[in-house]
Amino acid sequence: MFAIENLRKTFVAPGNVVVNAVDDISLGIATGKLITLLGPSGCGKTTTLRCLAGLERPEGGKIVIADQTVCDTARGVFVPPSDRGIGMVFQSYAIWPHMTVFENVAFPLRVARDRKYSNAEVKDRVLRSLEMVRMAGYETRPATQLSGGQQQRLAFARGLVREPKILLLDEPLSNLDAKLREQMRVELKLLQKRLGITTVYVTHDQSEALALSDEIAVFNFGKIIQRGTPQEIYRQPKSQFVADFIGSANFLKGKVKDVREAEHMAVVETAHGPFRCIFGQTVAAGQDVLVSARPEDLTLSDKPPGDGLNALTGKVSHRVFLGEVVDYLVDAGDGEIRIRAKPEAEFHIGQAVHVGVSPQKCVALPS
Amino acid sequence: MERNGQGALARAVAVVIRPRNLALIACVIVAGWLVFVPLAALFYTAFTEDTGFGPGPASLSNFVQAYSSWHIVRLFGNSLIFATGTAVVTLLLGGLVAFVVERTDAPLGPLFHSLALLSFAIPGLLTAMAWIFVLSPNIGWVNALMKQWFGLSEAPFSIYSMGGMIWALASHYFPLAYLALGPVLRVLDVRLEEAALVSGARYWQVMPKITLPLLRPAILSTTLLLFMLGMSSYEVPRLIGRPARIDVFTTEIQAATQNAPPEFGISSALGMTLLFICVVAVFFYRRATRNAEAFATITGKGYMPTRIKLRKWRWPVALGVLFMFFLALGLPLMTLVWQSFFRNLAQPFIGSASPFTWENYAFILHYPIFLDAVKTSVSLAAMSATLVVALTFVMAWIALRSAPKSGWLLDSIAFTPIAMPHVIVGAAVLFAYLMLPIPVYNTIWILLIAYVTLYLPYGMRFISGGLTQIHKELEEVAEVSGARMRQVFFMILLPLLAPVLLAAWIYIFVLAVRELGASVFLIGPGTHVLGTISLTMWEEGGSYGAVSALGVIQIIPLIVIVAGLRWLELRVQRRSEAAAAKAQAG
Ligand SMILES: Nc1ncnc2c1ncn2[C@@H]1O[C@H](COP(=O)(O)OP(=O)(O)OP(=O)(O)O)[C@@H](O)[C@H]1O
Ligand SMILES: [Mg+2]
Repeated sequence: MFAIENLRKTFVAPGNVVVNAVDDISLGIATGKLITLLGPSGCGKTTTLRCLAGLERPEGGKIVIADQTVCDTARGVFVPPSDRGIGMVFQSYAIWPHMTVFENVAFPLRVARDRKYSNAEVKDRVLRSLEMVRMAGYETRPATQLSGGQQQRLAFARGLVREPKILLLDEPLSNLDAKLREQMRVELKLLQKRLGITTVYVTHDQSEALALSDEIAVFNFGKIIQRGTPQEIYRQPKSQFVADFIGSANFLKGKVKDVREAEHMAVVETAHGPFRCIFGQTVAAGQDVLVSARPEDLTLSDKPPGDGLNALTGKVSHRVFLGEVVDYLVDAGDGEIRIRAKPEAEFHIGQAVHVGVSPQKCVALPS
Repeated sequence: MERNGQGALARAVAVVIRPRNLALIACVIVAGWLVFVPLAALFYTAFTEDTGFGPGPASLSNFVQAYSSWHIVRLFGNSLIFATGTAVVTLLLGGLVAFVVERTDAPLGPLFHSLALLSFAIPGLLTAMAWIFVLSPNIGWVNALMKQWFGLSEAPFSIYSMGGMIWALASHYFPLAYLALGPVLRVLDVRLEEAALVSGARYWQVMPKITLPLLRPAILSTTLLLFMLGMSSYEVPRLIGRPARIDVFTTEIQAATQNAPPEFGISSALGMTLLFICVVAVFFYRRATRNAEAFATITGKGYMPTRIKLRKWRWPVALGVLFMFFLALGLPLMTLVWQSFFRNLAQPFIGSASPFTWENYAFILHYPIFLDAVKTSVSLAAMSATLVVALTFVMAWIALRSAPKSGWLLDSIAFTPIAMPHVIVGAAVLFAYLMLPIPVYNTIWILLIAYVTLYLPYGMRFISGGLTQIHKELEEVAEVSGARMRQVFFMILLPLLAPVLLAAWIYIFVLAVRELGASVFLIGPGTHVLGTISLTMWEEGGSYGAVSALGVIQIIPLIVIVAGLRWLELRVQRRSEAAAAKAQAG
């Protein structure tokens, strides 16, 4: 496990601009779990990870890895990266070009100080690591003669060979092509589950985050905006930023008319009539909110839905056939609504339609 | 309150004694000492009274004495004309070669490139010597030949003139101008030229309107560099200028220290002016190179520069350039080699009284002074190359990796000697260690100190360049894998940087073996180097044959080493190109 408390790290950019790369972040996860740091470019994910690794010295905060305090600015504790017992995979893989595949993986064992590894042990562990990432048989290759995917596996083998307490991954899949990326994603998840290794995964790819994580921390401007399981993050975003950044969402402006705490429901009056919504962040009657609904949760029909709730009318303005699904744009008068529908029912451009959504799939967000 | 204060102090001490910060402080002290202690000694000597027994009270008497005679006007005039003339002639010759090699389809480009690089092996002193054999009014064989052919009573050329000096130095430096301008011409944004060509202009119209303005920053910076080299040149003024009574700053600064009693005060007062001129030149040089970057002429890969099609002129142009190389490098070298096989003066094509002989070589190879000088020069060069490479390796690493905020400090210290001509470093180091209670005067160590100072900038440039090619994450991942700083250094950085370090080492080694301008101040009775014994032998009337053999014996190993360096560089280049191609494919 690891725990971060009130971590702060600033950089001075050219022109003496102070960048709060990490702005008072607290974070932690239980042993064996995978947490993803997700957010747009420049939001401080890598910096957080580098602070964990000890590659950056934070201005404030405390970091505990597997019950060892590795950083505590208040007490002046700072354990160097070499003594933190971590494995790390960089976005660039950082494979040492002057070594063979074997020597790359063996390096962490050769420099280990907690115990001495005999040659036989080194060999045994390196081969096991390489096998784990399906790179057995490549030991004697110069590291420069590997494909991108192989380099990436090699970087994993090197990160895992010492059986680290915690594995740090900085966008490890972003340099691979789409197909390979999906394949590696599955392998990575299986490997992590099998080894039961606590993992911090940095990405700005939301589908990667949803697929891999036990928990997601959504970052923006050096702060954590929301934390939760992939379902929570996806289903109950607490802000427009999260709703928009993860998946895509339609937003309707409205005002809360009524809150039913017991049912965890709110009724929001919009230009298209009342919408019944759930909420992640508590809202109060009279508050201005946005009603957010995901395109795949909206239904299209040519008849109005029964109770007149959670519905609006409009005209199909665009239609894109994608095979498994069809994307529609519906002109609702005050804006366009995106809908992802099954291709069974056909709607043609210009057709008047009714858009409906279940209250469980509508989220009221403070605006 | 007090405890708090103590806590802050303890924390400050803890920050300072982090190994990286200790290394930074150590580097600043060592490099700062090397660079600024001699400079301080030079200033101190200049602005205090010269009592004959070291500096006395503060005074401007040295300046009054040095600058109050008409002689100083001649000195200024000669130095400026010599440096400017050299810069212009060198630039024209080098620019011409660069243009032919890079922008025309004339053949033999790689040959010219190799020749230019090899020319770097030839010590300036020997070039000057060789030109005397070629163009001296008395003994120059070309003059003798001309007189014979055209029945002249007077020698048509004289090396002992301002023109002769300029030619001797320009012939030595034009490969440098070519090497500096070539890459710029190669990567010049051809789209701008093409745009002009497409709009109907002819190439000879594009040249002055588009190409030259684009090249202006590069031309300007190269000119400044050459001007500075001209200002700092010691060998040609010493060998050719002195007998011709054409004095320049470098020779005067040195001569003043050789007077009886030595006039250190005057020497340093003159040194101030030379230093000032060079500092100004470096200032503008840096500005020009910064602008050159802002000009962003580099457009990346994927284009072939338009080369002028010379058609039937391809070979004549190439042969013309080859002839130029022959004139500038071949003629003096061949003369030197020829002379080395005869005891007395032997003028090619004129005939010689004495017979062909190997005895000059036999003499030199058994000459104890030569053998001692080889030992001194080689060990000095090896030590200074090793020290510079080690020191600048650590400095470059700190500047780029560990403490980027303090990096500029190390950078500036390491690059300061660029503005210090060899004579200034020689004089300043001499003054400093005459004053300081450190017993290095008259030993090999004082030479070592001067050499390390002189070559700091070269080491720094090589190694920072190499280090920027190595991705920081390669070191970080080693750290995270559990490696200590020392292990990261020796197991990751050193092997990755080895070719660059080796190239820097060889380069500095060659420069140090060739060194003369600082050495003349610092040699002692037992510490002669190759440059100074060649000079002494020449000036004190060694036989022409022996002097030439001494030169040839120095040049041959240097050429072999430089060829080795070139081979190494090509290997590194090919390797990084292969890696880049691989990265693109993968
Ligand atoms: N060494 C540095 N010097 C100055 N500023 C830095 C440095 N490293 C990061 N920053 C700044 O800190 C902020 C956070 O950077 P960080 O690398 O953590 O972002 P990120 O979330 O990993 O982004 P990306 O998805 O693009 O990798 C950015 O604004 C960045 O410009
Ligand atoms: Mg990042």
